[in-house]
Amino acid sequence: MKRRVWGATAFALAGVLALAACSTGGSTSASGIAPSTNGKGKTITLWLVGADTPQPLRDYLKTEFHKLTKGTLNIEQQEWPDLVTKLTTSLPDKNNTPDVTEIGNTQSPTFTNVGAFLDISSQYKALGGSKLLQSFVAAGEVDGKNYTLPYYFGSRYVFYRKDVWAKAGITTPPTTLTEFNKDVATVAAANPDNIPNFSGFYLGGEDWRDGISWIFANGGDIAKKEGGKWVATLDDPKTLKGLQQLQAIYKNADNAPGDAQDSNQYIYVNDNDSIAGKTATDAATPVSLAAATIMAPGWAHWSIGDKGVDAKGAVTRTWNDATFGTFPLPGDNGKPAPVFAGGSNIGISAKSKNPGLSEELLKIMFSPTYQQMLGKNGLGPANSDYTSSLGSDQFASALIASSSNSKLTPAAPGWASVEASTVMEEFFSKIKDSTDLTALAKQYDAKITPILNTK
Amino acid sequence: MTPSTSSGTGLRRRRVKPRTIILSIVGILVALVWIFPVYWMVNSSLLSNVVLQDATPTFAPIGGSLANFFAVVGGGTFLPALGMSVVIAAIVVAFCLLFAFLAALAISRFRFRGRRGFVLAILFIQMLPAEGLFIAQYKLMSSIGLLNSVIGVSVLYVAAVVPFTIWMLRGFVAGIPLELEEAAMVDGLSRTQAFFRITFPLLAPGLIASGVYTFLQAWNEFTIALVVLPSDASQTLPLWLRGFIQASATHATDWGQVMAASTLVALPVIIFFLFVQGRMTSGLVSGAVKG
Amino acid sequence: MTALTSTRRTIRRRASKAPYVLILPAVAVLILAMGYPLVWQIITSTQQFGLSQQFGQPAPFVGVQNYVTLATDPYMWTVIGRSLLFCAACAGATMVVGALIALLMGAAPRGVRIAIQISLLLAWAMPVVAAMTVWNWLFNWRIGVVNWLLTSLGLPFRDHNWLEDPISFYAVALIIVVWMSVPFVAFSLYAALTQVSGEVLEAAQMDGASANQRFWSILVPVIRPVLSIVLLLQVIWDLRVFTQIKLLQDAGSVANETNLLGTYIFQLGTGSSNFGLASAVSIFVLVLTVAISAFYVRSMLKEDES
Repeated sequence: MKRRVWGATAFALAGVLALAACSTGGSTSASGIAPSTNGKGKTITLWLVGADTPQPLRDYLKTEFHKLTKGTLNIEQQEWPDLVTKLTTSLPDKNNTPDVTEIGNTQSPTFTNVGAFLDISSQYKALGGSKLLQSFVAAGEVDGKNYTLPYYFGSRYVFYRKDVWAKAGITTPPTTLTEFNKDVATVAAANPDNIPNFSGFYLGGEDWRDGISWIFANGGDIAKKEGGKWVATLDDPKTLKGLQQLQAIYKNADNAPGDAQDSNQYIYVNDNDSIAGKTATDAATPVSLAAATIMAPGWAHWSIGDKGVDAKGAVTRTWNDATFGTFPLPGDNGKPAPVFAGGSNIGISAKSKNPGLSEELLKIMFSPTYQQMLGKNGLGPANSDYTSSLGSDQFASALIASSSNSKLTPAAPGWASVEASTVMEEFFSKIKDSTDLTALAKQYDAKITPILNTK
Repeated sequence: MTPSTSSGTGLRRRRVKPRTIILSIVGILVALVWIFPVYWMVNSSLLSNVVLQDATPTFAPIGGSLANFFAVVGGGTFLPALGMSVVIAAIVVAFCLLFAFLAALAISRFRFRGRRGFVLAILFIQMLPAEGLFIAQYKLMSSIGLLNSVIGVSVLYVAAVVPFTIWMLRGFVAGIPLELEEAAMVDGLSRTQAFFRITFPLLAPGLIASGVYTFLQAWNEFTIALVVLPSDASQTLPLWLRGFIQASATHATDWGQVMAASTLVALPVIIFFLFVQGRMTSGLVSGAVKG
Repeated sequence: MTALTSTRRTIRRRASKAPYVLILPAVAVLILAMGYPLVWQIITSTQQFGLSQQFGQPAPFVGVQNYVTLATDPYMWTVIGRSLLFCAACAGATMVVGALIALLMGAAPRGVRIAIQISLLLAWAMPVVAAMTVWNWLFNWRIGVVNWLLTSLGLPFRDHNWLEDPISFYAVALIIVVWMSVPFVAFSLYAALTQVSGEVLEAAQMDGASANQRFWSILVPVIRPVLSIVLLLQVIWDLRVFTQIKLLQDAGSVANETNLLGTYIFQLGTGSSNFGLASAVSIFVLVLTVAISAFYVRSMLKEDES
C-alpha cells in the first residue's frame, strides 16, 4: 500500500515537474533540453560501476523507465579500475557512448572540465537542489554550471576491539581527536595480548584516504583555488599540524607496513579461531589479530566479527557487540572529524543521442522511492531528506555522523592525474621518517601544483 | 653402485647410478617448484574467503567445497564469456595460422623484392609497446563499426600475433627440403598435390606449436578486449575475471571466488595443452632448431 | 612461367606474383590493424594531446617538445636505467635457468622428464592475472606462505614486507618473471638439444673431453640459432614487461620508486591522460629495443640470406 502511494506520488511529482519544465517557456540553460517521456521504441544505456547498486534497484530503474517513457533501459556494469579508460574512449564517441553513467566523485572534475558531460543545471532544482550533498555537487560543477550530481555516498569510520581497549584500560571511546591520538598510542604501548608487530591503530603508510582526516580535522587541505588556479597547500600551518599528529601515530601507535594502502583493513581486527585462547608467542600458530583499531569504509563491517561456520560448512564472520565497536572519528570541535567521502556522481554524456530520455532517468533516480531504496541498501542517498532510510543501527549512525562533515578531494581538473601519479601515496609514505615535515610538504607541493591545473 | 640385473630379459643390465638418483631428485624439485602456484590456485579455490585471510596458510583443501565455483558460475556471466573467448580464440588461431603460414612460405621459399623489408617489418613491429595504442585502436574499430564485435577484436588479435607466428613457422618451413616435393613431382604429382601430401604433414607439429602459442595469446589478452568490447554483453574471460577482483561499496573482495574464477579461466587452456602436449614438444623439436 | 630451380633451397621465379599473393593477407591485416594505430601514435607524439583533445579540442602541434621533455626529465632516465638493468637480469636468469632445466630434462629418466614437462606446461598455461594473484599472496607480508615457511624454519621473517624496499620488490618481480618465462626457454632449448647427435657426444666423451668441454664445444654451437632467437625474444619481452610490475605495484611499494617503462607509459597514458607524452615514450621504447637488437637482427638476416 505504502509503495503504491509513493509510486503514485513519484509519478505525479514527475508529471508536475515535467509540466513545470515545459512551462518555464524554454529555460535558457546551455542544454535547453527538457526531460522527455517520448521513448517508444528507443533504448538508452546506463553504466553503473562495480556491484554497488544491487539488482533490485537496477530492476526498479528498468521497470520505472519503461512505465514512464515506454522506452527500454539497458544497464551495463563497468569495473572501477578500468572505468577511466572506458570513459576516455567511449564518452566522445556519439555512436557508442553510454547515455547516463556513474562516475567516481574524485574522477568527476577531470571529465566535467573537458566537456564530457551535458549541462544539467536546468534540472538541478528539480532533482533536489540544495538538499543534495553539496560537496559532491561541487565536484560536478564547473563555472557555476552543474554537469554531474551526487549518486550515493559512503563514508569511513573507526572500528575497534572493545575487549583489547578494555584490557589496556580504556572503556569508553574517545570524544575528541586529541583523545583518540592518545588512546591508540596507549593501547599500542600496552599490547595486552603480547602480539608481535601489534598496532594500536592500523593505518597503512600509503593510506592517504584515511590519513587525510587528520589534515582536514585541523582545518588544512590538500589544495585550494587561488585566483583561478589551483595550488597545493600541504605546507599550510594547519595542514602541517595534521601531519605532525600523523607522524606521532605512525611512530607510536601504528605498525602497519609503510606501503600498505587503503584496502582490506578489516582483516587486522579479526581473530583466528585456531589459536583461540593462545597468545602469539608460539611462532607456529600466530594470531591474525594485529590491530586494536582500524579506519575503513563502512561496508567493512560485513567482514568483521567472530569466526563461525554456517549450515553448509562455509566459514562466516558475525559481528559481536561485546568484542567489536564503532564510532565516527571525532574532531576537536565537538563535530565528527571530516573524513574523505566515498561515493559516486552521475551525469549524462554530452554526446548522448537521447538527452531528454536521459534526464527522465535522472528524475527516477532522484525520486524519493529510489533514494530510499539506496538508503535501505546501505548506500547513502544523495538527497539529505532521505538519509534516515539508512536505518538506525550503529553502522548507519556511524555512516550518517561521519559523512555529515565529509570532504572531497580538490575539484581540480588535474586531480585524476594526481591520483594516477600516486604522488599522494608517495607523500604519505615519507611522513613517518621525515625529520623536517615543512620541507617535505613544500617538496610535494612543488610536485602536485603543476599537475592540478593540467587539462 | 651394484648393478641390478633384471632376471627376466637378461639382454640389458640397468644400473641405477647415484647420478641418476640425484638428477631425479632435482628434477622432481623443479617440477614441484614450477607447479606450486598452480596448485595454490586450485587449493584456494576450494576454500572460503574467510579461511584464506587467516595468518596460517591452509595447504590442503580440507573442509573445502565447490561452493566458490557454484557462486562464480551461478552469476550467469561465465558461460557467455566462455563462449566469447572460445569463438575468438578459434577464429584467431585459424586465421593467424593461415596468414602466417602463407607468409612464412613466401619468405622462406621465394626471393622477391621487398622481402627484406617485410622481414624487418615483422621483426620490428613486435617491439612496439602496446600500452599506448588503445585510443587509436578504439577509434579504428569505432569508425568501421566493429566495436563489441567478435570480428573487430579478432582482427586486432591476429595482427598482434601474426609477426611472431610468421617467424616461428618460417623456421619450420625452411627445415623441410624442397627436394622432397620435387621428388614427388618427378613421380607425377602436381606441385600442389606434392605439397599437401608430403610437405604439409611434416609441418603439422610446427603448426600445432604455433597454434598453441597463438591460442594462449588470444585466450589471456586483456587490454585490447577491455577497450574494444565495452559492452558487458560481449565480455571475454579475462574481462569477466576482472570483475571478481574488485571490492565495492557493499562488499569486500571474495578471494576464494577470485581463485575459483581463475581456475575456470585456466582450465580450458590446461586441458587443451595436455591434449596437444605430445605433438607440441615434437613440433618444437623439429622446428626450433631451424629458427 | 619458367621455373628456375637453383641449387639452393629457394626457388627463383622471374617476376612471379606468387610471393606477393602469399604475404598479402598478413600484410593486409597488419596494415589495417596496426597501421593506423602506429601512425596515430607517431603523430600524437608530436602533439600536446590530453583529455581535452580526446573530447574535441584541437591538438596543438609541438614538434619534438614531448621528446625533449622526456630527454630532460631525470625521472625518465631513472626508469630507463632500471628497465635495462631489470631486463638484463631477467633475461640472463631466464636463459641460465632455462638452459639448466633443458639439460636436466635431457639427462633425467623418462618419468621425471615428463613430470617436469607437465609442470612447466601448467605454469606456462596459467593466466597472468591468476598467477599474479597467487604470487602476491605467496609473498604477502602477513598471510604469505613464503614468510610462514621462513618463520617456521626459525628465520626472522614474520610480517616481513617484500615489496616495500625497491630492491626487494625487483627481486620478487624477477622471481615471478623468470618463473613465467622459463617454460618457453626450457622447451625450446630442450628441443634443440635433442637434435644433437648422441654419437658425437659419446665419441667426445671417450676421447676424454670433460662435461664442460662437451657443453661449450659441441652442444652450444649446434643450439646457437635457437639460443639466439630465444634470447632476443626474452630481451624484447622483458624490456616491456608491464602486467607483472603493475599488479605487484597494486599490492604494495611506492609506485614511483618501482616504475619500469611499461608501467610508466601506462601511468602517463591511462592515468594522467597525457597521451602525447605516453606516445613519445612508446616510440622511444620502440627505438631503444630496435637499437639493442640491431646487431643480432643484422647477423640473423645475413645468415638467412646466405
